[in-house]
Amino acid sequence: MDLQLLKKQEHQRRVRKGFMWALFCAILWGLWYIPGTVVWVLNPFDEMYAEIAATNGDGMSLIITAVLITAFNALTVILALMVWNGVLGKFGEMKRTLKEFNPCSKWFFLASIFGGPMAILGSFIAMGFVGGAFAAVAALMYPVVGSILASKWYGEKISKRAFAGIVFIIFGGITIFGGGLLTEIGAGNVVWIGYIGGLMAAVGWGIEGAIAGKGLDIAEPDVGLTLRFLGENIIWWVIAVPILAILGFPMFKYALMVFEPLTMLVLVFAGITFGFCYVTWYKSFPLIGVGRGQGIGNLYGLFAVVFIALFFGDIPDWTILVGGALCLIGSSIMFSEDTSQLESLRGE
Amino acid sequence: MAGNRPIKFRILELCNKSGGAWNYEVVRQIQKEYNLKGDYQRDSINFDLIELASCSLLRDVEVMVDEEGIYKKGFLLHKYVITDFGKARAENACLMYV
Repeated sequence: MDLQLLKKQEHQRRVRKGFMWALFCAILWGLWYIPGTVVWVLNPFDEMYAEIAATNGDGMSLIITAVLITAFNALTVILALMVWNGVLGKFGEMKRTLKEFNPCSKWFFLASIFGGPMAILGSFIAMGFVGGAFAAVAALMYPVVGSILASKWYGEKISKRAFAGIVFIIFGGITIFGGGLLTEIGAGNVVWIGYIGGLMAAVGWGIEGAIAGKGLDIAEPDVGLTLRFLGENIIWWVIAVPILAILGFPMFKYALMVFEPLTMLVLVFAGITFGFCYVTWYKSFPLIGVGRGQGIGNLYGLFAVVFIALFFGDIPDWTILVGGALCLIGSSIMFSEDTSQLESLRGE
Repeated sequence: MAGNRPIKFRILELCNKSGGAWNYEVVRQIQKEYNLKGDYQRDSINFDLIELASCSLLRDVEVMVDEEGIYKKGFLLHKYVITDFGKARAENACLMYV
């Protein structure tokens, strides 16, 4: 058997696996929008929103409620990840990695700061002060930040072709949310803080990916990701929620009211989809690189619209066809790239 | 001996010798040191090697087909050596003496 041929096949399998993980990430991320949307109208979050809105206004209320929802999301994600790591028998490795603060866990805790408070909160600020479509479009920009950082910082190779694929997918996403975006910005009463939120989302997730890529060099993806969510849980439950409670917001009152069957079910569904979307995201990075992993992950915009249409019956605008086509072109450009370029992801 | 540092650290150490180390040697050594039994753990350690190579911390210097089933019959065996980038990255983590 030809050795070079076998080597090429083995290498193609690796790249295929990387793209497959990234695609699963996009599907799960899109699925997450179902619980992520539903949870807002469930008790106790809808009551909480109404109570805070009455005194502090709608925008502020949205952000404070988002903190509690995100905190519960992080909590259910880490539960899902604990089960996952338990099944894979990785608790031992988790302990070993956690202890290595400087080379390993430092990066994952840093990733949690950028991915958690910065990106997620930024996304909610964009949603609260501009609108949902704007928040979605702003977040789509994160692979540009991620791939540029990974390339400048640790020399990750990103070919022109892969970058072209990322750009196509971004334009696809913008087209999908385009109508809503124009309506929101055209409404006229946009507050600048909403744009800052959008920027926080794009930059936050981009930086998270680049930092995670750095930590994943010498750590297990499943383990690294769990540490990243450990960090996020500490940020929300030990820092943010108590501080907001001290400032007088009814955080704990509503946190304790969350134990209703339907609310719990939706939160668990959110935890599973979000948790595994992140698992697949982190698993793709060492195989195809941060830039490509994030670029394909960006297909979540298309999947989110499709799933929301299927589950809620919201018929999307015709622009989804154009946007979806652009996304498909972008993904094909990346999938069909000659994989010998990807033998090693970094230039030496 | 039970390993007490992350597996990828130990893999980099094992590949940090002149001429490199074959993947099946590294996998067996890690399985022994970390007390990881079974095919699933074996494949999972080999996947760590693949990830390290893909991130350019290791590179393969020799490849041969596993005719006799030393590791997995019909698959490729790789001999990996740590790269300069791998050494630099591992310097503050596990290869203190480099």
